[in-house]
Amino acid sequence: MNVKRRLLVSAMAVAMAGVMPSFAAAADTIAIITPSHDNPFFKAEADGAAAKAKELGYDTMVLVHDDDANKQSELFDSAIAAGVKAIVLDNAGADATVAAVQKAKDAGIPSFLIDREITASGIAVSQIVSNNYQGAQLGGEEFVKLMGEKGDYAELLGKESDTNAGIRSQGYHDIIDQYPDLKLVASQTANWSQTEAYTVMESMLQAHPEIKGVISGNDTMAMGAWAALEAAGRTDVVVVGFDGSNDVRDSIKKGGIKATVLQPAYAQAQMAVEQADKFLKTGSTGVEEKQLMDCALINADNAAKLETFALSN
Amino acid sequence: MTAAPASTPAQGSPLLLTLLQARTYLALILVFGFFAFMAPNFLSVANSVIVAKHAALTAFLAIGMTFVIITGGIDLSVGSTVGLCAMVSGWLILYGIDLGAMGTMQFNTLEIALLVMCVGVFVGFVNGILITKLNVAPFIATLGTLYIARGAALLSSGGRTFPNLSGNADYGSASFPGIGAGTFLGLPVQIWMLIAVGLVAAYIAKRTPLGRHIYAVGGNERGAALSGVKVNRVKLFVYMFSGFCAAIVGLIIASQLQAAHPATGETFELNAIAAAVLGGTSLSGGRGKIGGTIVGAFVISILSDGLVMMSVSSFWQTVIKGLVIVAAVVIDQAQSKLQARVALQQEAALGR
Repeated sequence: MNVKRRLLVSAMAVAMAGVMPSFAAAADTIAIITPSHDNPFFKAEADGAAAKAKELGYDTMVLVHDDDANKQSELFDSAIAAGVKAIVLDNAGADATVAAVQKAKDAGIPSFLIDREITASGIAVSQIVSNNYQGAQLGGEEFVKLMGEKGDYAELLGKESDTNAGIRSQGYHDIIDQYPDLKLVASQTANWSQTEAYTVMESMLQAHPEIKGVISGNDTMAMGAWAALEAAGRTDVVVVGFDGSNDVRDSIKKGGIKATVLQPAYAQAQMAVEQADKFLKTGSTGVEEKQLMDCALINADNAAKLETFALSN
Repeated sequence: MTAAPASTPAQGSPLLLTLLQARTYLALILVFGFFAFMAPNFLSVANSVIVAKHAALTAFLAIGMTFVIITGGIDLSVGSTVGLCAMVSGWLILYGIDLGAMGTMQFNTLEIALLVMCVGVFVGFVNGILITKLNVAPFIATLGTLYIARGAALLSSGGRTFPNLSGNADYGSASFPGIGAGTFLGLPVQIWMLIAVGLVAAYIAKRTPLGRHIYAVGGNERGAALSGVKVNRVKLFVYMFSGFCAAIVGLIIASQLQAAHPATGETFELNAIAAAVLGGTSLSGGRGKIGGTIVGAFVISILSDGLVMMSVSSFWQTVIKGLVIVAAVVIDQAQSKLQARVALQQEAALGR
């Protein structure tokens, strides 16, 4: 009864507030917008950000844009209308996100970007990304070592619209191409997807049965490729991924996939919320807009310490 | 015709029937009322405009889809057409058309909009020709164009996004972002466009011979053909109109995001079908209303925006959307059963 009445009163307050969105929000809310949680990486981001926001006394609004820039734009509309104080975002496309972040800025809401950059600066308050280039170089070095510096290999690329796909590939090649005996025989995009990586890997194996290694732009594709290799009885092939997911960690522990590169998703999201909090309280984050977080190599030696995109000491 | 079902009470059924017939509007009031109480800031003017803008995108596609479904067909290609049209508008703004030796042709906003609409209508034309002249089933024909249009969209940029579509003042395309972001008399341009397209479509459906022919083709194609309806021309029109509606959505999205991504519009066709069905369009053809479809689009959009504002998990949002659609079809079936029964009773009453 009491709850009902309170709901009624607050609903009336909302109705009366009308065009004044800031009036009705009880506690300050932070919107956390990421790609779909069916990928544990983005779940870890959302969980990390939400946990930190609660700790700092904020309400949260956890939303999912499914890598659809149009849906993301609609979510921004809704978040702005709901009167959130800040937006933490893992965006749906470097170019297609600029207009949405600008819209939030025009409405007086600061955005804090994690994981992926956008192509404009000065619109978001922070853009914290993993140092994909440094991470890819780590992965590349480990790949070279595992391959014994020679042999044919294939590469699985991420979605071409995503800047990280290009940066990671660049990082891999800047290391691997220094070894002339390592020969790239096939390179295909699998759009970050496990199912696509599985079918692409199957076709690659048909075309190039001699490959000794696969370097993958992320862990889900590495898992897909590994499943295809296992089905074909080719468990001798060296697979290296990128992200540091629990699935790949378990595979590494069992001696399947050989290595991956950890992106500190959980810590990164928490950092974004801390900066949002500081910005809301003092008007400045005290750091530059673009920030890079270093990645860490995960292989059989330290896989046991990895849990949901965070490495314990 | 004397055998009225003995167990049915004659009283009450007409009232229930009226309720069932108005179900789309009841659903609208229901979801609106629910979120007005449950979601913070849902009732604010700003949010209502936003919900209307989101609904408009589904509504455009659903209006085109309604005509197609009334003729007994289906158009699965609209989502891909949206993507293709977004890419074409991006291409025209960034590069214009390369005429080889004669240099490059650049366009102003209006010309770009018209060209993009031509692309949409052309996709519809291909669908129509496949279905009428080559006798391909609508489901298969439009499934094929779904893939072709999506592939063409991806090819146009090599899978990349066309960035910074803010237009170029020298070519007169600087007003391009205004399609998605501009306002006229306080309302967003796209809502005015929806009003215009909605009114035209409703006028065609209710007041023109073409409209009557559309219903006739869906109700009984052979009968319509025998009574002189040019069935193929009617079908060609509905698919071209559906392509036209998809082109509008492609333009709006490219303008709103000021970027065109080739995956734009994936699964939009399903939302459009859902909106049409929610609005009382029968998938077996012959029955449906433009007004109902627009209300259906609003129900879907209010539902998803409201759930977002209540920060319900996106997985639950998907389940809830599915439940609403299933409920709509179940009620639709119940209504036609009841309608038949009431008609039978009335006939029986007259007979005695």
